[in-house]
Amino acid sequence: MATGFRKTVRAFMVALLLATVVPAWATEPPKEIVIGATVSQSGHFSSEVGPFKRLMEAWADLVNKQGGIELKEYGKRLPVRVIVYDDKSDESTANRYYERLATVDAANLLLGPYSSPLTFAAGSSAENHQTPFLAICANSPKIYSRGFKWLAGVIDLGPRYTYRYWEMIKAEGKAKSVSFVVENTLHPLGVFEGSQKLAQEAGLDILSSDIVPPDTHDFTPVIAKLRDKNPDIVYVASNIPFAVNFMKQAREMKINPREFHCTHHSGVFREALGEGAEYVVGQSYWVEGMKLGDAGLIKDLLQSAKISEPMYPWAPAYVAAFQIVRATLEKAGTLDKKVLMDTLKGLTVETVLGQAQFHETGYGTINTYPSQIQGGKYVVIWPSGAATGAHVYPRPSAP
Amino acid sequence: MTSDVIQLVLAGLLLGGIYALAAFGLSISFGVLNILNLAHGEFLMLGALVGYSLFAALGLNPFASVLIVVPVFAVAGAGFYWLLLKPVSRKAGPEKLVASVLITLGAALAIEDLASFLWERPVTGIAFSMPPLEIGGVVVSSLRLMVLLTVCALAVALQIILRRTFAGKAIRGVTQCVDGARVVGIPLSRISAVTFGISAATAATAGVFYVTLFQVTPSVGIPLTVKYLCVVVLGGLGSLVGSVVGGLILGMGETLAAYFFGSQWSPCVAFGLLIAILIVKPEGLFGARG
Repeated sequence: MATGFRKTVRAFMVALLLATVVPAWATEPPKEIVIGATVSQSGHFSSEVGPFKRLMEAWADLVNKQGGIELKEYGKRLPVRVIVYDDKSDESTANRYYERLATVDAANLLLGPYSSPLTFAAGSSAENHQTPFLAICANSPKIYSRGFKWLAGVIDLGPRYTYRYWEMIKAEGKAKSVSFVVENTLHPLGVFEGSQKLAQEAGLDILSSDIVPPDTHDFTPVIAKLRDKNPDIVYVASNIPFAVNFMKQAREMKINPREFHCTHHSGVFREALGEGAEYVVGQSYWVEGMKLGDAGLIKDLLQSAKISEPMYPWAPAYVAAFQIVRATLEKAGTLDKKVLMDTLKGLTVETVLGQAQFHETGYGTINTYPSQIQGGKYVVIWPSGAATGAHVYPRPSAP
Repeated sequence: MTSDVIQLVLAGLLLGGIYALAAFGLSISFGVLNILNLAHGEFLMLGALVGYSLFAALGLNPFASVLIVVPVFAVAGAGFYWLLLKPVSRKAGPEKLVASVLITLGAALAIEDLASFLWERPVTGIAFSMPPLEIGGVVVSSLRLMVLLTVCALAVALQIILRRTFAGKAIRGVTQCVDGARVVGIPLSRISAVTFGISAATAATAGVFYVTLFQVTPSVGIPLTVKYLCVVVLGGLGSLVGSVVGGLILGMGETLAAYFFGSQWSPCVAFGLLIAILIVKPEGLFGARG
């Protein structure tokens, strides 16, 4: 009986010890801020963002060299660690990795993958695990119409992606007609949906609209129709590989509109087409020489990550996202996820791309500018306050 | 409308030329060696990346870079056979087929991952162009025409090799009867390696032309292999003429389907033709019965 009593006392002492020690562990402040993300290092989207893991690591290094980010709740500055996986430009792979980031890796905050389809898939993981998720280059309205509470996005919605271009076309009053060639994926379809309305509001006749599978190799049927219609503007809403294939074949088949507009026309596009890329108009968040935000941070990070901006024009949007993340953490002062998300949604912050705010459903306010390739360089052509050069219309080789 | 249709037929024929060139090698390896090489598309992909690298680094014209690509990939193909496929070459028919599928699929995935690792971003094609020809309102892509002419020249050259050289006759002998070929003293392993080398070289050559026209990523290999398999079955296993005709039919079919029914129907054409030929003439258009 005495032995049984001793056992009971020992058990009680162990329980008492655990009851005092465990809460101490639980309230121990975090040692670092963990930010999780995926980057399309391979696959279809790697031509757009392939080396961006280096960009994220360069930002984390920069922040840590500055001493980390101050979080008032813990009374100290914490270093940042980024965990980045390769989503292989695949939705199910992205979803799997965001599940891992939100659970196994215990990320405090998630940065979204490149593209609307991948973000659409990955956003669900963040919502399920109630982890703040900041989408970067993803603007399909479908992403933000699901009533998700844990999702916000840096950029404006897809239908408004090229609104500045159509403003310019309306103001100039030169172009009278347009034909659309659209890659059948989420982002280009969203851009096309808005551009149709904006083109009509600008007074243009829409002569044709072709929605084409993303892996199309032969554009002859589409181009044959364009030759018959002869529009002033051929507007290609697509990602880069599609645009390159189309433009090569358009050149081979000698269609010669007054303007080609290719929504994505990065340095990769320019390199693949050579002089065939001259005077093509597309969309850029930032080009060298723009008076927008603090270009120094863009240049520093791109230099550290050894990334050339013309080749990867979405880099400035990622830099803006880093600034938003930092501002959110500093303002929230904690790694409590609910507080972080509420702070993020209510944030107004100046970034390298101008002021960033968030709509109630989560999408942002940052948008692109029309830019034209002139002499191998990217020139923003509208509006006059941001432009670095004049719009050349029609193309010199156009009739 | 008439000029549009002529334009489309021409474009389809020119596209089919590239399909034919890539399908050659697959036809040879399956027809002669009874090996289904799922890594065939990877040789095309690697040829495209090498062609791109030669253009980017040295400014070498793609047609000239073929002179480098052919011997390099002929040796690589022979080496691929010796290392990976020779060990299973003596197995009986179905076992050999299954083993070759598994081995070449594994090799395809490994090559794809290695290429993804080495090339940071997909190659979006090279900025090489030739002024198009315009005949009576119909525009003909000079580049694609050159590719088609090269394909035809290669087909003629291969036919001459198969009919006039010892290696070619030996390859034909092995196709007709493996045991008979062994009895008369044809070195089977060596001939198989040569055949595989020819197969890899033609795929890589197709890759060089492919990258002048389209984008190439490390992951294009397996989907392209499946498409070229349709061409090979359509034309007849082991038949070079069949591969050319099959490629041209597929090219035209895809282009016309896209124009009349919409681009979204174009990818179905390959599989539709495959099903049709398997029902109507399973040995293919130019294949032998039995």
